[in-house]
Amino acid sequence: MNRLFGYQVSWAELAWFGHRVSGLGVLLYLFMHIVETSTVLLGPDVYDAAVGIFKNLPARLLEVLLMAAVVYHALNGLRVIAMDFFPGLTIWYRPLTYGVIAATVIAMVPLGLIMITPFMPWGA
Amino acid sequence: MTTSVGRRRVIYSNPSRAARPLPEASGRERFWWYFMRLSGLALVLLVLGHMFIMHVLVVFAGQEIDFAFVQSRWGTPFWRIYDGLLLVLAFVHGARGARTVITDYVTNRTARSLVIGVLLALAGIWLILGVLVLIFFDPGVHSVSGPVS
Repeated sequence: MNRLFGYQVSWAELAWFGHRVSGLGVLLYLFMHIVETSTVLLGPDVYDAAVGIFKNLPARLLEVLLMAAVVYHALNGLRVIAMDFFPGLTIWYRPLTYGVIAATVIAMVPLGLIMITPFMPWGA
Repeated sequence: MTTSVGRRRVIYSNPSRAARPLPEASGRERFWWYFMRLSGLALVLLVLGHMFIMHVLVVFAGQEIDFAFVQSRWGTPFWRIYDGLLLVLAFVHGARGARTVITDYVTNRTARSLVIGVLLALAGIWLILGVLVLIFFDPGVHSVSGPVS
């Protein structure tokens, strides 16, 4: 059992809460991403300055967080869709939920390492 | 109860413990139930593909995301259509998801309509901005080494 805002919650409830938080977070990023990308209409100088804001380690770490949110939301969404269309799968409700959480963590190890590579001693 | 206005109380039973149950009556709610799941499937491929190119392949290729990068990408119709599909599906899926979250937590009817109205207005403006950028970006305008020079 875990605690969330003073409530005892199971991993399954955390999975549901994580789906909401990651979804809202990615939507918020999308609003910012469109503004940043739309500067491409203003020419190379403005656009390169706009994307330049994100070319540092702190911003890259936030992008790793974004990647984690997207990967988790995708995997958990696939689990939800699978269980909605094939109700028989709900026998495996618990292992599937743990599997989604585990797969997200495992996928983020290489993805995170690759993403921070340009700012690390072993990178270029 | 005679005091309650004739609004039917809907009790959802969801023994499968999947996400939300499929709305029993056909109509708008059922359409959105299917839309979220089908657009979700498409977005898994579109978003993960997009992120894999921008954050993994770009690192391996030692490239930089800059104006020239966008010029070469949006010089081909394929990536414009890919990004357009991604933009529209992500925004509609995201706005509908946020609307679901709002209806779960904002119970006051006036406040709910207000918050959802603001959400839809903002999402609409941003979506139109994104589509206009995709349509009107001209890879040749600031070209230094474009196909015609």
